[in-house]
Amino acid sequence: MFNKVLIANRGEIALRIHRACKELGISTVAVHSTADENAMHVRLADESVCIGPPSPKDSYLNIPAIISAAEITGADAIHPGYGFLSENARFADIVAAHNITFIGPNAEHIRVMGDKIAAKDAVGKAGIPLVPGSDGAVNSYEEAKAAADKIGFPVLVKASSGGGGRGMKLARTPADLAEALSTAKAESKAAFGDDAVYLEKYLELPRHIELQIIADSHGNVVQLGERDCSLQRRHQKVLEEALSPALTDKERVRIGETVRKAIEKLGYLGAGTVEFLYENGEFYFIEMNTRLQVEHPITEQVTGVDLVREQILVATGAKLSFNQADIKFKGHAIECRVNAEDPKTFRPSPGEIKQFHSAGGPGVRFDSAVYTGYKIPPYYDSMIGKLIVYGDDRAHCIARLRRALSEMVFVGIETTVPLFVDLVEDPSFQQGDYHIHWLEEWLAKSA
Amino acid sequence: MSEKKDQQDHGLEAAWIRELAGILEETGLTEIEIEKDKVRLRVSRQGGAVAYAPAPAAAPAAPAPATSAPAPSASHPGAVKSPMVGTVYLSPSPGADPFAREGSQVSEGQTVLIVEAMKTMNPIVAPRAGKVLQILVSDAQPVEFDEPLLIIE
Repeated sequence: MFNKVLIANRGEIALRIHRACKELGISTVAVHSTADENAMHVRLADESVCIGPPSPKDSYLNIPAIISAAEITGADAIHPGYGFLSENARFADIVAAHNITFIGPNAEHIRVMGDKIAAKDAVGKAGIPLVPGSDGAVNSYEEAKAAADKIGFPVLVKASSGGGGRGMKLARTPADLAEALSTAKAESKAAFGDDAVYLEKYLELPRHIELQIIADSHGNVVQLGERDCSLQRRHQKVLEEALSPALTDKERVRIGETVRKAIEKLGYLGAGTVEFLYENGEFYFIEMNTRLQVEHPITEQVTGVDLVREQILVATGAKLSFNQADIKFKGHAIECRVNAEDPKTFRPSPGEIKQFHSAGGPGVRFDSAVYTGYKIPPYYDSMIGKLIVYGDDRAHCIARLRRALSEMVFVGIETTVPLFVDLVEDPSFQQGDYHIHWLEEWLAKSA
Repeated sequence: MSEKKDQQDHGLEAAWIRELAGILEETGLTEIEIEKDKVRLRVSRQGGAVAYAPAPAAAPAAPAPATSAPAPSASHPGAVKSPMVGTVYLSPSPGADPFAREGSQVSEGQTVLIVEAMKTMNPIVAPRAGKVLQILVSDAQPVEFDEPLLIIE
């Protein structure tokens, strides 16, 4: 078992990792920027090290500072959380080179899945259904046109080094294709330092369905069911559900086993999520995230598995404490990402939380690092907490969510809680009848 | 015999108490204590509402941070702060003379300390000429970003 884990992250996920460590009897080291001196996890951690000024580049992305902090505190493992360095293969390599355990997959898998073209190739060979697309990168309009004709318009031009919904341009007709291609290449170069692009079939009204897997170093791979993350705004997830209201048990078992077998073939280690677009009963792979996801708690609620705990145990070389046959899904869970933003304009609302009171009671979990008097720094993303609600079935879960939302109190900042209060009353939402463009259409209507 | 004496005494005390109570009323005092003939009497009044400040709403408990709390000298204008995370050394090598001692004069750009991070030695230089007022760290101490290392006036 690890003696000491350094948490290379901030905010609610840093607190989540700290909690899992404490429950395993592991000491924690919180690294933080000067702006996060009063962060909850910094105050709770056994040790803290200030690693830089507020800007992420000089702190949470500052590899030398983080490694140095691990050295001076004698940490034997690092948990990278999500975002920041969690999918940075070079960081994983450097951590390993310092004889510190990186709590996550090996650098090679991070590398392959970080390259979207290579990822498609790898998972495709392992049996995962793909979105029809170009065979690798397209380097000219002619190549793009040929690929698009084969796939069928409309098509998306996607950055190979992109991901998380960034670096994608739509072309509905051959006439659009030239511009989509050049714009995508230019933006990709600017954002990711690499202008390689590929094409994929554009699905009109798909749902975003992702599968959670976890694998140990003894060849045991377990899939923990799907999450429906179709409700998005600007490619950022807003609300997630487990399990998806759109899948039948038969579809669920089929895709679950397909993914599980593929991950087994890849020899993957740790937690990971395989993301699909789902339309008309078909699954189309988009990308794999080789890290813990923001919305992992809803999977925890319906399976009873503590994912962060399992990540840590698996990283020590231990076997998973359960097999696929042990996993039973029970009930329904919904997560609302609460952002410090105006609920209508989404303008960020940093500053002091003059008063905060969390919802509580049965089936309610609020994963957050905020407290009354906490000053939200303006340098990082605006998510300040995740409201996770569990019910015996979807209707019960929604009733609980409605009740829990009415109990959340934030004074001094704007939050997106009112958005969820309205969303919960929408008949389409209540029926689970939505797709990846639905939320933006709903927001435009209610503007 | 003693009974009679007691009665007598009690009678006396009762009279005192009444008198003292009267004095309390008149003067608005809340307590009087008096000793006479080896008898000590205290009369106190529990008048009206005793106002006390309600317990302040508990601030989130802040456990003592394991790293050293910023010394008051952190805000001294001459404080030189660590630009990185690492281990600070006062001398160029073990056993050698320190770069600077308290009280010594240093010139701008002169190396005053080393911070070692990931096996590289990073010199910490005096940002201006002056006198080393105080060295805030000890040899081989781990330091974090912005930690005050020494004060140069």
